[in-house]
Amino acid sequence: MATTGLPGQRWYTPYLFSLPALVLFGVFFAWPAVTAIQLSFLKYDVVSPPVFVGMGNFTRMLGDERFWTSMLNSALFLVGMFPLLVVVPLLLAVLVNQKLPGIRTFRMLYYLPVVTSMVAVGVAWEYVFHQQGVLNWMLTTVGLLDQPIQYLLDSFWALPALVLVEGWKSMGFYMMIYLAGLQTIPAGLYEAAKVDGAGPWVRLRHITVPLMMPYIAVAITVEMLDAMQSFTSIYVMTGGGPQDATLTLGYYIWSSAFQRYEMGYASAMGLVLWALMIGLAFLNHRISKGRVVA
Amino acid sequence: MLRRAGMYILLTAIALAFVGPFLILLSSGLKPADQAVFSFPPDIIPRPPVLTWVKEAWTAIPFPRYLLNSVIYVGLMVPAYVVVSALCAYPLAQMRFRGRNVLFFAILSTMFLPAEVMLIPRFLVVSQLGLADTFAGVILPGLLSAFGIFLLRQTFAAIPREVVDAARTDGCHELRIFWHVMLPAARPTLAILGIFGFISVWNSFLWPLVVLKDSANYPIALGIAYLAGITGTDVRSLAAGTIISMIPVVVVFMLLQRHVLEGMRGAVKG
Repeated sequence: MATTGLPGQRWYTPYLFSLPALVLFGVFFAWPAVTAIQLSFLKYDVVSPPVFVGMGNFTRMLGDERFWTSMLNSALFLVGMFPLLVVVPLLLAVLVNQKLPGIRTFRMLYYLPVVTSMVAVGVAWEYVFHQQGVLNWMLTTVGLLDQPIQYLLDSFWALPALVLVEGWKSMGFYMMIYLAGLQTIPAGLYEAAKVDGAGPWVRLRHITVPLMMPYIAVAITVEMLDAMQSFTSIYVMTGGGPQDATLTLGYYIWSSAFQRYEMGYASAMGLVLWALMIGLAFLNHRISKGRVVA
Repeated sequence: MLRRAGMYILLTAIALAFVGPFLILLSSGLKPADQAVFSFPPDIIPRPPVLTWVKEAWTAIPFPRYLLNSVIYVGLMVPAYVVVSALCAYPLAQMRFRGRNVLFFAILSTMFLPAEVMLIPRFLVVSQLGLADTFAGVILPGLLSAFGIFLLRQTFAAIPREVVDAARTDGCHELRIFWHVMLPAARPTLAILGIFGFISVWNSFLWPLVVLKDSANYPIALGIAYLAGITGTDVRSLAAGTIISMIPVVVVFMLLQRHVLEGMRGAVKG
């Protein structure tokens, strides 16, 4: 090796530096990952010794109605959060990319929910969603609603309500991803378009969106992973209810493992979630690549 | 002029949508007992603001204990994860050695293991190590951060090779180069990692929920969920407690917002 012989560096120096990270990786990532795969083929309730059940956990999923409900709900989270996290933040980013006095303050306020805990956000929105709360007051006042709704106790409205909260909390984060992208677009392009008589919509459609495609791809990937992992809002606001209306795959996994102690079954569902996330990330990578070439 | 005024009205309306729920929380937590929390139309201004509910939240759960726990978690986890990240990032950025790519991909793979999947096996591993229900059980699994390692690797890699080689030929020990050349040059990145670490540890919820049985070790976010779950908690005192739990992280963010927002942009570009 070229550097051997120099004072201070032996062949093992780089390994010593990375040793803490390596140990943590082995103990808290590699070992559990192997355990997760093993567990998926076991029936294990923590108290009695594990029993090998082969593909039993996976075949059980096929006939488990709650599993399919949770898959559907996770898919609804994924689709529902798309406009909130991929589309709206792009518009917000365009808005706060203007050179105006005090614009940094607005960026900061839009980012505030990102730094707040999901627990606090969930509690705050329970006040907004209350039957006599601000949202019902606004909607009944403008005539969109005849009767106040108890959003979190309504099996139709509970899921959209949680999607709104999750989306609202993370919008600022996606806005900053887009802002980073917008600041790489030369201002001259917009000037030229203006001279040619292009309005704001045309400029957004034909300059901003095409040039932002790589950032949109990043946002979509992160959005999918985020949506598939929604948990805390559900825990705080609905507990998966009413009647499983907000039971997502992530919540079902947690509840199977730590409320019903079905560690094997929960791990098998975990592997399914993991495969879905890798699949979605890969799919998005392929699609966005194809689009750049086209 | 009119256009600009319209722009500010739009920006302010959106800001209200992002801050409004927190303002409602604040107002509810300060309202006296004889003022309705919910009403049509909303009655936002507390008349007069009272601290009764803060006191009630403070004693309904071991509030000061949970705040202290969170301070301890932040105080131990943030420096430790920054040090682990920096130590691992240095050889990745500035040394050639066998297995470097393997190390790189191992770190990268951790980003693709979702929390819900790792929850169960990690809980079993932590239990086998006898760390369930302890501070160490909460802290140790959170110290490996792919985000931290990659951000620092990028920073270290930008330091010219000649600077490092000059120090090496001067007979500097690698640990001294790390300490006296690398870390000072990476100070802005270290600050960003520190702030992000503080925010994420202060807000941590899912892993502590799984690993802790004994509520005495709860971080504050878990404490608030616990308070929300106690039947009979007054909506005003829940609001007051939640607001208090938010104060440290919101203050740090407002003071250091420039670093947070710039840092995010740097991370995206990388």
